[in-house]
Order: sequence, then C-alpha cells, then structure tokens
Amino acid sequence: MGREVAESCIDGVIIEMVSAYCNRFYGSKPELAARRIEAIGYQVGHQLIERYTMERPRFSDHLEAIKFICKDFWSELFKKHIDNLKTNHRGTFVLQDNKFRWLTRVSIDPSSENLEASQDSPVLTPEHKVEVTSMHLYFPCGIIRGALSNLGIPCAVSADISNLPACKLHLDFGDNKNFPPRMLPE
Amino acid sequence: MIASVAVVGHQNNPLYLQSFTEADDALKLHHIVHCSLDVIDERVNNPKKSVLTLNESFLGLLYPTESYKVYGYLTNTKVKFLMVTTDLNVKDADVRSFFRRFHAAYVDAVSNPFHVPGKKIASRTFAKRMSGIVKGFSPGTNG
Repeated sequence: MGREVAESCIDGVIIEMVSAYCNRFYGSKPELAARRIEAIGYQVGHQLIERYTMERPRFSDHLEAIKFICKDFWSELFKKHIDNLKTNHRGTFVLQDNKFRWLTRVSIDPSSENLEASQDSPVLTPEHKVEVTSMHLYFPCGIIRGALSNLGIPCAVSADISNLPACKLHLDFGDNKNFPPRMLPE
Repeated sequence: MIASVAVVGHQNNPLYLQSFTEADDALKLHHIVHCSLDVIDERVNNPKKSVLTLNESFLGLLYPTESYKVYGYLTNTKVKFLMVTTDLNVKDADVRSFFRRFHAAYVDAVSNPFHVPGKKIASRTFAKRMSGIVKGFSPGTNG
C-alpha cells in the first residue's frame, strides 16, 4: 500500500531531532526544548490517528478509544503490543511496555561532559540515565496526547522510566481540566 | 450530479467547501450544508437503532428537499463530511464508496505537515482529487 522506511531511519530522525532541539536550538533552556518536542509529537499523533481510524467504525465511548490506542495504534507505531494496562477507574491509566522499542538502543556514553574529568571509571548514576533518556520520551508522549485529543479525549501524558527498557506511560484524564504533563516544569 | 461537498470540523468550523455547479447558488449550498449540521447532531445524539448501528461512520440520507439530497458521514475524529446531490435516485452503495474515497483524500490532505489542524484545507492536490472523485461518481455504476 504505502512505501516502507527502514526502522533505523526513524530512530535516526528521532535521535537527531532530540539532539538538535536540546543542544542547538534551545541549548540553555531544556524546558523549552521539551515543550517543542512534545508539541511536534502532538501534531504527529493528531495526524496519525486520522489515518489509523479511517477504516474503523466510530468508538462508542472513551474506554474503547483507549483500548484502540493500546492495541492497534501502539502496534502500528511500535510494532508490538502493550504488556500491561492498569487503571484506577478514576481517570488515570498506566500503559506499560516492557521493551520500549525506541529506547532499546539508547546507550549512555560514559565519557560525556556531565561527569567529572577526575573520575577514572565513571559510575553511571540512575539520575544521569534518566536525564539522558527522558528527553527522548517527550515525543512519544506527545504522540499519544495528540492522538487522544483528536479523538475528543483531552489528557495529560507523562512517562516513567525507572527501569529501562521498560517504560510506563501515565494517562491522566483529570476532571475536564487540562493539567500540564508532570514531566514539564510549571 | 453532485452539487457540492463540504468538510466540517468537530467544532462545526468549515474546513472545506466546494460547489460543482455552474450556477451561482453557492450561498444556497452553504446554507444547506449548515442546516445539515443540526441533523447530524440529532442523529448522533439520539440514535435510531432500527435504522443505523450506533457506531457507523456513514450517516446516510440526512434530509431530502424537493431538488436536493444531503448525505452525511462522521469520522472517528468528529470530522463531518457532507455531500449535496441533485440526483434523486442515487444508490446507497455508490454514496458509501464515494465517502470512502473522500475520507482517503481527506486523510492524505490532513497528513500534510504544513496543514494547520483546524484551519481550512488549502491544498490544491486535495481540490483536484475531490474534483476527480466527484466526476467519477455516477449513480449507475458501483464505483
């Protein structure tokens, strides 16, 4: 049907986009870089959901739309299913993917400038790992947020990567208020 | 003969409005499209289970006047497609396949990264494709 692109090209574009926004465009303002990347993801999600819901009948309620995101949309984007879906039945959903495809190849460079020069064998702290990979998560969070908002369900999406390569996305539907995502500063 | 097609966003904002008649009654067609929006809202909020299933995208004949028939289609993203035709004996199947092609052209137009969601569709390719789809719609064939 459509033309195909190698997965490594997608990885390359995303890595370069994150690096360009963090290091070049908004080098001194990581919060702005994060917002820009999330906004790009929002537009992509917005447009993708049009294409992926084209063949389907309309959803009868929010729960069906979320199930669609977890199953069909997720497998179109990441070529695999979500491993776990939890909800507290009060407007929060947690999507867990045990091997998040876009993060499986992220390597932490031990010789980066963040570590002190005096250390001979730098120890990678978990905080450092989280810092490096969190920028890469704004884009997928934006995609999910854009997709849900185009289906008429505004929400806030934040990610939790305490144990890579597993990734948990928190969807927060609130009470008709658009809470800012937890990852971004106020 | 299709008189006009329209795409209306989920806040009832017009995204695309095109008439295909030579006569200068564009305003009348806009008015018909506008009135049909109310019918769509009614259909969606009070579904008549005997006529349509709750979740179908194709809404069918919205209302007939003596010279026009208006058909509607609602996507998952709450975007409405409307088609006004002067032909009085169109087959349901033809209209369905028309809307399928319409939807495909719309998705391609919206996937354009330069298109701002919520603003009017300004793509010339979309306009050309729509004219092609409208020309290809003829009630005798099952396209």
